[in-house]
Amino acid sequence: MDLNFLFISVLNGVVYGAFLLLTSLGLSLVFGLGRVVNFAHGALYALGGYALVEVMRRTGLGYWPALTAAPLVVFPVALAIERATIFPIRQRPDIYTLLVTFGVSFMVIGAIEQTWGTGTTLLTTPAPFTGTLDVLGNQYPRYRLFAAAVSLLVSAGVFALVQLTPVGLRIRAITDDAEMAEALGIDTKRLLTLVFGGAASLAAFAGALGAPIFAVHPDMGMSILLDSFLAVILGGLGNLPGSAIGAFVVALTKSIGGGYVADWSIAFLFVVVAVVLIVRPTGVFGRGRVA
Amino acid sequence: MKTERLALLVLLALALATLGHPAGAADESIRIGVLTIRSGPASPIGDDILAGIETATKMQGKVLGRPIELIVEDSLFNPQNAVTKATKLVQQNRVAAVLGTSTIEALALLPVADRLAVPIITSNAGAAAITRQRCNTWVFRTNPDELMSVASLQQLIAQTPKLQKAKWFTLGHDYPWSRLVGGSVKAVKDIAYVGETFAPLDTTDWAPFIAQARTAGATAVIMPVTLGTPLLQFIQQAHEFGLTKEAVLVSPIGLPDWLVAKLGPTSTNVVSAGSWAAWRYEEQEPATREFNEAFYKQHGRVSGMQSLQSASAATLLYQAMTKAGSAEPAAVVRALETVDVKTPVGPLKFQPGGRQALSPLFLGPYEPLNPPRYGAQFAQRAEAFVASKSLTQSAKESGCNLK
Repeated sequence: MDLNFLFISVLNGVVYGAFLLLTSLGLSLVFGLGRVVNFAHGALYALGGYALVEVMRRTGLGYWPALTAAPLVVFPVALAIERATIFPIRQRPDIYTLLVTFGVSFMVIGAIEQTWGTGTTLLTTPAPFTGTLDVLGNQYPRYRLFAAAVSLLVSAGVFALVQLTPVGLRIRAITDDAEMAEALGIDTKRLLTLVFGGAASLAAFAGALGAPIFAVHPDMGMSILLDSFLAVILGGLGNLPGSAIGAFVVALTKSIGGGYVADWSIAFLFVVVAVVLIVRPTGVFGRGRVA
Repeated sequence: MKTERLALLVLLALALATLGHPAGAADESIRIGVLTIRSGPASPIGDDILAGIETATKMQGKVLGRPIELIVEDSLFNPQNAVTKATKLVQQNRVAAVLGTSTIEALALLPVADRLAVPIITSNAGAAAITRQRCNTWVFRTNPDELMSVASLQQLIAQTPKLQKAKWFTLGHDYPWSRLVGGSVKAVKDIAYVGETFAPLDTTDWAPFIAQARTAGATAVIMPVTLGTPLLQFIQQAHEFGLTKEAVLVSPIGLPDWLVAKLGPTSTNVVSAGSWAAWRYEEQEPATREFNEAFYKQHGRVSGMQSLQSASAATLLYQAMTKAGSAEPAAVVRALETVDVKTPVGPLKFQPGGRQALSPLFLGPYEPLNPPRYGAQFAQRAEAFVASKSLTQSAKESGCNLK
C-alpha cells in the first residue's frame, strides 16, 4: 500500500470534513431545537456564496471583508424565512416543516437564478493563501488548509456557545425537553427563530468560505446538503458531537473511498448510513431524537 | 337596408381575401419548432442553441418567399417532457420541423419520430446510436457524434509529440462516455497509460481523484467530465493543486467558450480535440466569419459550438426547403438527404444513406487572442480534422439501415 497516497486521502478527508462540520452543526442545531428537518439549508449555503460575490461586486471590497459580511447578509433573510414559513406551523407534525423547507429551498434557488442567473462564478484564491504548501513532500493548496482551520475554529466556537453560555444552556434545555423548558419560562419560539438564523449564517459562511474552491452556482448547496444530512443522521439527529464525528466519517469515507474504489465510494457510504438507520435509528452516538 | 348591404360587401370582401390567400401562401409564415433547454442549470446550452438558430434565421430572411416563425419550447432537459413538447409543437403549432435538441431530447424523440413525421435536426447530441444503430428517417444530426470525437482525440495524440511521450491518465465522471474516451486513449499505439478513475456524477470536491492522477505520475490527463460547472470545478481544482504544472489537461470534446472566458489564463493549460473551436474556422472559411459577425452583432458575444451547430442545422433545413420547393415534411427529408450547403461550420452535407452530417472537428491548444475577437480573450487554436477521417465507415457499416 502506498502510505503517501493514504496520507493524502486522509488529509483530503479531514479538510472536507472540517468544512462539512460547519453545515452539519447548523442542521443538527435546528433539528434538536425545533425538530425542523431543514431542507433549505443547502439553498442558504448557496445564498452565502452569492452574498459574498454581491458584496465584493457592489462595494469593491476584497474577499476577506465580503467573507465576514456574507453570513450577516443571510441572517435577516433566514429570520424572515423562519417567521414566514416555519413559525406559523410549529405546532403541526414534523412532516409539515419538512415539506415547507423543501419548498423554501426551491424558492430560494429560484430567486437566486432570477437575480443572478444560472451561470457559475469562479473566484480566485485570495491572497495570502494562493499556491500550494509542502505537506510531507506533497504539494497541497494553502487555501484548503486555511479554510479547514477556520471551519474548525468556528465550529469550536459553536460548541463553546452551546456548552458554556446561558444561551447554550437554554438551547440544550429545549433540545432535551422542549415542553419542560417552555414551562420553565424559556421563550422557545424566539430562540428557534434566532438559532435558525444562526444556523443559516453558519451555512452562508461555509458557502462563502468554500466559494474559491467549489465555485458559486445556484445548485452548489445540493451536494453539501446531502453530505450534511448523512453526517447528522450518522451522528444522531440533534446530537452536536455526534454530528461532528459524522461529518468526518462521511468526508473520510468519500475521500478514502474515492481514492481507492471510486466507483463504489458513494454506494459504500449509503450502505453505512442505511445500516446505522436500521441498527441504531438514533444514530451511532445516540441521544439524538427519532423523528 | 344600407347597413345590411354594407355588411354583405364586407363579408364578400373577407371571403375574397381568404380565397386569395390559401394556406401556405406567400405571407403565411413557415413555423419551425425549437425544442431546447430554457431553464435549469443546463440552460446556458439552450441559450446558445437558440441564439444560433435566431441568427441563422435572421440571415436567411424568407424561405420560399415566406417568413420563418420560431416557436420555442422548454425541454427541461427531460425526456418525457421533450416528447410532450415535441408532440405539442407538431400537433398544435403545426411546425414543419424541429430544431434545437441535445442528446436527451434526441434519444427521447427517436421512438416517436415516425409518429411526429417532421424532420428533427439535432445539433448537440453526442450519442453515436442516434445516427448509427438507431437511425431514423426523420432524425438528422449536424454535430459530430462521440465516436467521431474519439477519432479526433486519437489524431491529436498521434500528431503531438509531447502527448505521445506523456504518461496518460483518465480522470472523468462515472458514465459510459468517460469509459469510451478512456478506452480510446488506451487504444492509441505506443503510449504509456498509467491509470484511470471515474468520479460519481455529483462530485464537487475533486481532491481524491486529483491525488490519484498525481500518485500515478500522470503528465497528460484526459478529462471526460460533464460540461458546465463540474468541468469548471475540476479544472479550477486541478490548477489549485498544481496538477496543471505537472500535466497537460486534455479535453476530449473541447471547452465551451463561456467556460473558457471564466477560466481565463487557466484555459491555456488545456489541449483539445472536438468541435468547440468551430468559430475559429473563420480563419479559413468565409461562411463562418460571416456568421460569427452576424452572431456578435445580434447577441454581443462569440458564437459557441452549440450556436454554430444549431445555425448549421437551421441553414441546412432552410436550404432543403428551398431545394424541395416546399415545407412539406416528406419532401424536406428527401431534400435534406442530398442538400450540400455552405453553413457556419463550413460546407456540409449528410452521409450518403445516413443521417450524420459530415462535420469537421478541430484540434489544438487553448491560447490567448491578441487582439481579443468577439469579446473572447482566449480560444482554442483550430486545426480542422475533416469528417472523411473521423467517419471512415459508411452509414450501413456503422449500423444505420434506413427503410
